[in-house]
Amino acid sequence: MFRFFLKRAALTLPTFFALMFVTFTMIRLVPGDPIEVRRGERGISPERLAELRHDMGLDQPIWKQFLDYVWALLHGDFGTSIISKSPIAEEFLTLFPATLELTFCAMLFAVAVGVPAGVMAAAKRGSFYDQTLMGAALTGYSMPIFWWGLILILFMSNTLHLTPVSGRIDLIKYYFQPVTGFMLIDSIISGQKGAFLDAVRHLILPTIVLGTVPLAVIARMTRSSMLEVLEEDYVRTARAKGLSAFRVIGLHALRNALIPVVTVIGLQVGTLLAGAVLTETIFSWPGIGKWLVESIGRRDYPALQGGIMLIASVVILVNLIIDLLYGLINPRIRHGH
Amino acid sequence: MKSTKVLGAALLMSTMLAVGSAQAKSLVYCSEGSPENFTPAMNTTGTSLDAARPVYNKLVQFTPGSTAVEPGLAESYEVSDGGKTITFHLRKGIKVHSGVNGFTPTRDLNADDVIFSFERQWKPEHPYAKVSGGAYDYFNDMGMPDLLEAVTKGGDDLTVVMKLSKPNAPILANLAMDFATIQSAEYADYLMKKGTPEQFDQIPVGTGSFQFVDYQKDAVIRFKAFDGWAGKPKVDDLIYAITPDATARYAKLKANECQVMGYPNPADLADMAKNPDVEVLQQAGLNIGYMAMNVQKAPFDNVEVRKAIAMAIDRDAILKEVYQGAGQKAKNPIPPTMWSYDESTVDIPYDPAKAKEMLAAAGVTSLDSDIWWMPVQRPYNPNAKRMAEMVQADLAKVGINTTLVSYEWGEYRKRMQAGEHQMGFLGWTGDNGDPDNFLAVLLGCDKDGKPNANNIPKWCNAKFQEDIIKASEITDQAERTALYQDAQKVVAAEVPWLNIAHSTVFEPIRKGVTGYKVSPLGAHEFQNVDVAE
Repeated sequence: MFRFFLKRAALTLPTFFALMFVTFTMIRLVPGDPIEVRRGERGISPERLAELRHDMGLDQPIWKQFLDYVWALLHGDFGTSIISKSPIAEEFLTLFPATLELTFCAMLFAVAVGVPAGVMAAAKRGSFYDQTLMGAALTGYSMPIFWWGLILILFMSNTLHLTPVSGRIDLIKYYFQPVTGFMLIDSIISGQKGAFLDAVRHLILPTIVLGTVPLAVIARMTRSSMLEVLEEDYVRTARAKGLSAFRVIGLHALRNALIPVVTVIGLQVGTLLAGAVLTETIFSWPGIGKWLVESIGRRDYPALQGGIMLIASVVILVNLIIDLLYGLINPRIRHGH
Repeated sequence: MKSTKVLGAALLMSTMLAVGSAQAKSLVYCSEGSPENFTPAMNTTGTSLDAARPVYNKLVQFTPGSTAVEPGLAESYEVSDGGKTITFHLRKGIKVHSGVNGFTPTRDLNADDVIFSFERQWKPEHPYAKVSGGAYDYFNDMGMPDLLEAVTKGGDDLTVVMKLSKPNAPILANLAMDFATIQSAEYADYLMKKGTPEQFDQIPVGTGSFQFVDYQKDAVIRFKAFDGWAGKPKVDDLIYAITPDATARYAKLKANECQVMGYPNPADLADMAKNPDVEVLQQAGLNIGYMAMNVQKAPFDNVEVRKAIAMAIDRDAILKEVYQGAGQKAKNPIPPTMWSYDESTVDIPYDPAKAKEMLAAAGVTSLDSDIWWMPVQRPYNPNAKRMAEMVQADLAKVGINTTLVSYEWGEYRKRMQAGEHQMGFLGWTGDNGDPDNFLAVLLGCDKDGKPNANNIPKWCNAKFQEDIIKASEITDQAERTALYQDAQKVVAAEVPWLNIAHSTVFEPIRKGVTGYKVSPLGAHEFQNVDVAE
């Protein structure tokens, strides 16, 4: 198992380096200078521009900038934001728990609803239920996140007054310093009455919005994977043995059907992080998605490079864990068969 | 018995505390983004300046809702030495915020703080000059390094003498701008000794109506009321709920999750007007959107051609379609809310037939030109691309073929400043309400007759130049007004650009919010704001 882990981990290294290069160059291909973009119609004198570019090291040849960046990165230094002058790692760690909390809840929602829905659809293949569910999944998959978020806000918050519009907690009723950065945990630590429930209420809409697309994908994937497995001989044998439908589907079929579903769940982590950009903007969620979007607008090179590298590390790590999970679910993979 | 009394007292106290907290008045402002830091001298964006403003004061300040300059930390000032010396008299007993970031001031605000605040931006050897990147754009943009000769203490701790290299009438308006915020030198020393000087720009300590409590990036900024020199504000807690999406800000306003919001989406204005819980305040913005014609390129060097082009463009249609009614047609380069605005200017009419005749008379039978449009939405021009398309269609009717050109925003501005365009859109939002900040910045030239960088039409006129220079050196407002009005007449006759519009600034607030004034300068201020319980 350990050798399997090492092998998989080694495979991520080239990915990481390729990503480092692509991120660095792509950002610089976007037109616009980080200093000039901030000046708007005001402009800047060529002397002052040269001075500021020198201070930021932007006057160095690109290859030198890249090598400096790699060298710093190898020493664990992700750089300093051009805008806030704060270390990137520090900004990332402040904002990442909010994204992680939202992503985790969205994934939980997607799996908790998507897998049973997919299983049920497969079990009742061709029924009205199956068709409705798959139709809904296709709609969910095609839903523009921004539009979906705003519709939910207008309906659930402004019309029915069931959920808060945005943010992570009621700012007037509750005030406490973040300890972990995870609002659900911090609200409990704070000991303030009602804070936890309020945090949960604030999570409902963003979770639904962010979880909708993965939910649709997971439901469809579970359904098709289940259909395939249900045709297998061993399932037929189990049925012939007189096992209950629940045992056949829940124990024999589902475990094998889950392998491709787990793959999809792993891939959806990347989708979720990408989707978080929009969800965080709509719901004023102080996470890394919103931070990265602003960094693009401001051409904050270090924030973009560092942020993307850190997110990529998370995605790579999650996929590594997923690979290891395959090994657990299916020993043949672990043993290289 | 004793324990019952203690218990009773504790219960009473906790009830009082509970009542106290229940009665605490909070005002939530839905702001549009996170500040870069809390030192106004280092910022140029409205978002960052708004975030620091509750904490600080300046020597002089803008009267809320106007561009008039009134005393701030200085209760009075005198101008002497032919306008080259200004003596400020600070108020007595100006308290500095206490308990923020472990800092307890030992003295009231005095001249040392004023000197510190200017010298940090001015003198590269100042211990704080390079802290947090040390870029003081506004200080440099307003020409302060050349203008200031000395900022020193007068006869006592409460007197500051500012010596200038030449008389400069707009200086007082400049000093009401955010870059001239006065910060605490004692707090700076405290942090320097602690070895954390960069916290000076992240955890602000000032003398303003609100004391900084907490900032969580991209989420919230909290302030609490401070009973300082300007009196205690009417709300106890001021909370900035950072909400970047305009539609979400409006949804929060509707749900009473915030009571004031900035920068509404123009598409939501009609709905806001119908909402019984919302009031939409508005004020003419201190801005101008224009289409420059590069007078250094033929045939735009011919004033008759420029007039004909101006006459060929239907600005009423632009106002309706691009500004959607949220703007007014401009006839002068300065907005009508600004003193010295020349009411007598006769606007150029929309008359394509006459424009065609004038072009023919000027010998322009066929003309190929470009029209540059900005790739960004600005307060003075909500949709430059659509505007360019409309102008293109109008000009085609008088026989002018145009190509639309755009670049990335920084590149766009740089190329326009270099004069690469023939025609193109740009604009300006005023900094301080002084006409000099429009006329000299946007149409001024240097003493060698070379256009300033922001002079996009690349137009220099001796009479105009004489007027604006003279107006900047005298302090009598009536005389200055006459000179600026004369300068506007020159612009009206020469048409270096087509004045398009001054856009309107909208501020939606909840009904029950009182005392909120819309700033023509785009500032969001809360010291006089109250909210119904």
